[in-house]
Amino acid sequence: GPGLKVISTLSVGFDHLALDEIKKRGIRVGYTPDVLTDATAELSVALLLSACRRLPEAAEQVKSGGWTTWKPLWMCGYGLSDSTVGIIGLGRIGQAVARRLKPFGVRKFLYTGSGPKPESAAEFGAEFVPLTRLAEESDFVLVTCALTPATQGMCNKDFFGRMKKTSVFVNTSRGAVVNQEDLYNALASGQIAAAGLDVTTPEPLPTDHPLLSLKNCVILPHIGSATYATRSTMAVLAANNLLAGLRGEPMPHELKL
Amino acid sequence: MWYHKPTINEELLQSLPNLKVVASSGVGIDHLDLKLLSSHGVKVANNPFIVSTDTADLGMALMLASARRLVEGHEMAVSPVTEYFPADWLGVEVSGATLGIVGMGAIGYKVAERAKAFEMKILYHNRNQRKKEEESAVGAVYCKKIDDLLQQSDFVLLAVNLTPQTRKLIGKRELELMKPTATLINISRGLVVDQDALVEALQNKVIKAAALDVTYPEPLPRDHPLLKMKNVIITPHIGSATKKTRWIMMEEMTESIEAGLAGLPIPREVL
Repeated sequence: GPGLKVISTLSVGFDHLALDEIKKRGIRVGYTPDVLTDATAELSVALLLSACRRLPEAAEQVKSGGWTTWKPLWMCGYGLSDSTVGIIGLGRIGQAVARRLKPFGVRKFLYTGSGPKPESAAEFGAEFVPLTRLAEESDFVLVTCALTPATQGMCNKDFFGRMKKTSVFVNTSRGAVVNQEDLYNALASGQIAAAGLDVTTPEPLPTDHPLLSLKNCVILPHIGSATYATRSTMAVLAANNLLAGLRGEPMPHELKL
Repeated sequence: MWYHKPTINEELLQSLPNLKVVASSGVGIDHLDLKLLSSHGVKVANNPFIVSTDTADLGMALMLASARRLVEGHEMAVSPVTEYFPADWLGVEVSGATLGIVGMGAIGYKVAERAKAFEMKILYHNRNQRKKEEESAVGAVYCKKIDDLLQQSDFVLLAVNLTPQTRKLIGKRELELMKPTATLINISRGLVVDQDALVEALQNKVIKAAALDVTYPEPLPRDHPLLKMKNVIITPHIGSATKKTRWIMMEEMTESIEAGLAGLPIPREVL
């Protein structure tokens, strides 16, 4: 309606907002960066570990009785020791992810994005590379970038085709960054080993979606920031953003339009 | 031998008079009667170090999966009856929480190294205190009494070996000392925990959740209560389950056997 003055989103992502229209109407936007960085980075690592060590699959075998006699190569996954980790989008969340992965024995960090970020990368000795090289050299790929026209559909057939057969792909950014059909084909054909997705298009996926049928795809219900502590903080921040906007005051976290 | 089969007893050893070496997979040797083997002149070797990293990784995976409700979340996301994702479906953060490591050996220490990157506060209980440099490298605080660790930890992770001293180390008393919001993670051996006491503690909400890579027995009988609890994650003893590590284990075991048969000093001999 014409009386709308403020939009306060409970997220750091703003891809769901039509910013041109909002700016035209002089509407202010508040969002919740920083406060959800740790929870989301932690969830990204949790998802990576669950995918590369096949946790849901293994837990299901325990319940279903599939775990009978023990065989040396049964339920084997991939270790992080001596691996190369590629981070797409070395922003706040990407850096927090790298920080958490470092002591797992990662040998090398690669990252890609719109441009190099030497100060952020220094902590991990991370090397800025083109997307293609990141795909080719990484054992683990984590997507932690924003959804923009540039990143939409970025992880597609060409991308997955370059990845290693033993690699694991994790997306905790936005579903639309990934071409889901191409991801399905890559997983089903063994072009990549496994995937972990906290975000999809749509959410939830329709019940007959092929990704749901894959044993090597761990899907979560968009819970990146879903902890009691973080959501409380986000809620308070979002409320304060809104109130400040309505009062015509500076917001704790305003999105620059 | 892989896992703990075949069972090595007097009968088996009598039927194998020429047996010189037993190479046992992994680091645990609780399933072996060392005195019995020694009395038959049989040497034993294990894989003491190669399993540490993958097992520590799995310990972290279980802690994170439990805290953030990953298995439950995955089930919801792929379930045909899910129509939308509820906004108030929440877990708890590992970052900044307190981790109590019971058994700060090679595996326990690697867990501490990983947990530090999540800004966890780390307490540990061990037979002996670690060197100051080792403690400060991971910011770990020694708890001489296990009670202190249990009372303060949000996550209690067991990484001890199984010995007569550690059998049922975590029983009713210990579980009651833990916070009602705490989670028990076991990557050691099922028998380190009084499993019946654990079931009761979980049912009565004495502790919040458990994540177990090991149980007793393995696998659990199909009707076991632990298999039905929403707040329990059980994995089928996959601590060292990566192809890379399993291959190295096989190579190490082969090497130990060949040395034993040649009458040479045995690498990784258990004395």
